[in-house]
Amino acid sequence: MFESIDDVSRRFAEQKYICNRNIATVVYLAARMGKPILVEGPAGVGKTELAKVLSGALGEELIRLQCYEGLDEAKALYEWEYGKQLLYTQILKDKIGEVLAGTGTLAEAVDRISKQDGIFFSEKFILPRPLLRAIRSERQAVLLIDEIDKSDNEFEAFLLEILSDFQVSVPELGTISARHIPIVILTSNNSRELSDALKRRCLHLFIDFPSASHELEIIKLKVPELREALAEDVVAIVQSVRKLDLKKSPSISETLDWARALAILNVESLGEEIVTDTLATIFKHEGDIRKAQGEMRDFVARQKAKAPRPEGGANPDDKDVLH
Amino acid sequence: MDERILEFGALLRQHGLRISPAESLDALAALGQAGLGSRQVVKDVLRATMVKRSVDLPAFDELFDLYFSALGQAIREASEATGKSLSASAEDYQKLLEQLEAMLRGREQKLSEIAEALLRNDDGTLEKRLREAAERVRTGQQQGNRSFQEGQFAHALAQEIGLGEITRQLEELADQMEGQGLDPETERRLRELVKQRLADLAELLKRVARLEGDRGDPRRRDATKLAALAEKSFYYLSEEDIRRMQEAVTRLAQRLRHVVAIKRARAKRGSFDLQRTLRKNLQFGGVPFDVQLERRKKHRPQIVVLCDVSDSVRNVSRFMLQFVYSLQDLYSKVRSFIFVSDIGEVTRLFDDNEINQAIDLSLRGDVINVFAHSDFGRAFKTFHRDSLSAVNGRTTVIILGDARNNYNLAHEWVLRDVQRRAKQVIWLNPESRATWGFGDSEMDRYMPFCDVVEECRNLNQLYRVVDRMVLD
Repeated sequence: MFESIDDVSRRFAEQKYICNRNIATVVYLAARMGKPILVEGPAGVGKTELAKVLSGALGEELIRLQCYEGLDEAKALYEWEYGKQLLYTQILKDKIGEVLAGTGTLAEAVDRISKQDGIFFSEKFILPRPLLRAIRSERQAVLLIDEIDKSDNEFEAFLLEILSDFQVSVPELGTISARHIPIVILTSNNSRELSDALKRRCLHLFIDFPSASHELEIIKLKVPELREALAEDVVAIVQSVRKLDLKKSPSISETLDWARALAILNVESLGEEIVTDTLATIFKHEGDIRKAQGEMRDFVARQKAKAPRPEGGANPDDKDVLH
Repeated sequence: MDERILEFGALLRQHGLRISPAESLDALAALGQAGLGSRQVVKDVLRATMVKRSVDLPAFDELFDLYFSALGQAIREASEATGKSLSASAEDYQKLLEQLEAMLRGREQKLSEIAEALLRNDDGTLEKRLREAAERVRTGQQQGNRSFQEGQFAHALAQEIGLGEITRQLEELADQMEGQGLDPETERRLRELVKQRLADLAELLKRVARLEGDRGDPRRRDATKLAALAEKSFYYLSEEDIRRMQEAVTRLAQRLRHVVAIKRARAKRGSFDLQRTLRKNLQFGGVPFDVQLERRKKHRPQIVVLCDVSDSVRNVSRFMLQFVYSLQDLYSKVRSFIFVSDIGEVTRLFDDNEINQAIDLSLRGDVINVFAHSDFGRAFKTFHRDSLSAVNGRTTVIILGDARNNYNLAHEWVLRDVQRRAKQVIWLNPESRATWGFGDSEMDRYMPFCDVVEECRNLNQLYRVVDRMVLD
């Protein structure tokens, strides 16, 4: 468990996840208060990553439940293994015959077999799905409920029940209570409004696009092979492009993709050609590419107009300007 | 502290955030865990526990700054400004302060706590004492008259902290600087420092009084900084309006879903569900007596809304757009359009903005020209050309408008096409039924191609309409 908010930041940094104070505070609170965290924010800012890192930092198992339209209890909580049950009855046919041997009447046989039926509805034949696994886990687990906004209202209500009591009732087995209350992280892309009841039970965390310095730090950490000056350019472009009215603004994951692409291509500096060629890594829509192209060209032009950098000798674009 | 958090919760509520007692309790519990270490921690904690919608974040940030640190910041700013006005560099100022400190230590007479905090730049203590004094004055005043006056408050506050005594002490201190063996330049500057700090204190008292006034009345708040927020309480939609609208929309949508449910119940088809059949028939030894079919996937209502925002419906367009916004807020598969003679999609605009802002943006003419003359025919034709693909067999098309077409071509064939493709077409007209078809109203031409036509211009009528539709 975390000792302080700073401890959260430190252990997250060990997992190569740079988080601001806000994130660390909320994570600390969630761990301390046993409350779920509802993470919202644009796609690709590291919502899901947060849960992975948290499980890494705590050294606990990550149990993931991906939500989608039509997700129901059988997929989320538990299911009986019918196949296995059937198979066992077939295999145990002789044994069942033995058990029933010597019974005179049908009623007697039913009585005797009913004494045994607990076997077929025992934990042996239950197939735990993520929610039950998180509850039954021997150690405190991190439960990630991803994209809760994709699930149906009914499922949300059902989830509410689990999240408030951390116990599940299986009619054949009775109530199973959590040995350890898991740390729950719910993520939402806000494709629909979640119910107030669910929101009330959660701590809220809004992760937005990172600031320029923050983003640069992330690139340096995740793509150390990229030259620093280039990384700065990448961040500057992405930050300015985010101000445009795009269908899908590039998020951290796209910035990282781009940085990796540039590192693989062994690019020395950002020229217009290389930017155009690699645009597809940060934009996912044709229209966005067209809109952003102007911005990109301006940026490259500005870079060229600047005085050559100290190490600019190796930079072919700068040379052009000098001649 | 507890009281301040609750009060802050009330302030947020005043500005349209939904803060229930549960949220306030959470905030208190969370603060107990995280501690009051720094301002940032407190802010993060309150944000995590109290703000439930991302659109409320800016309001929260602004109110937090106003409520929790306006005074502290003023104090810091004052001491910084004094430092700057007196000396060229930070080290220089520091040296000056050290000299003052040495002098204070050498004296026998003790200064009052506030005077000491003032001279030592102890911002924390100063803030605390000023707050306490303000609190005492506030409780004292509440027994008296309710009307609030800044000047009065500042005066009472000055008495409360004993401004007269502090002034006397500091003047005495300045007088004693002679004969301390300081060089004349330092002496002059030290005197200046003491004088300046005294002036700061007077300024701070006024500031406290002003903050007090702001807190008492949200509309009096610093106009430039909080214009947007203050306006809200004026003509913006109240929390109650929004809640009731959502209720009505929820019921309408339930009705829309109902239509699907009935149709589906009749057509009881679905593919064979192996697992459920096996389980169900375990009781029969695996002999499939009772065949289980796959449950059909539920379809969310798909809605396309066309909302008229022309001049003729100006007085109800806010209401109609609020309806559109709620629809979109509650259901994912909604596409919203507004039209006058052009037609433009506002789905994203409504997704990205808070309700009042979204409505303002659409009425301001950013999306389409809202000052043109209405032309339903042209708008419909454009819709037919560009966006007909939004309509399919599961779509309910809702049109909000008065059908006043300025004698342009009605192009009702568009509506016929739309009705053919859509599950149903609903027209809600803000005009009273008696006037339909008169003058330039083309309602008679459009009506045959709508499944439901209702008169609807306010929330109460909307309720009735929905009720009637549910009963059908």
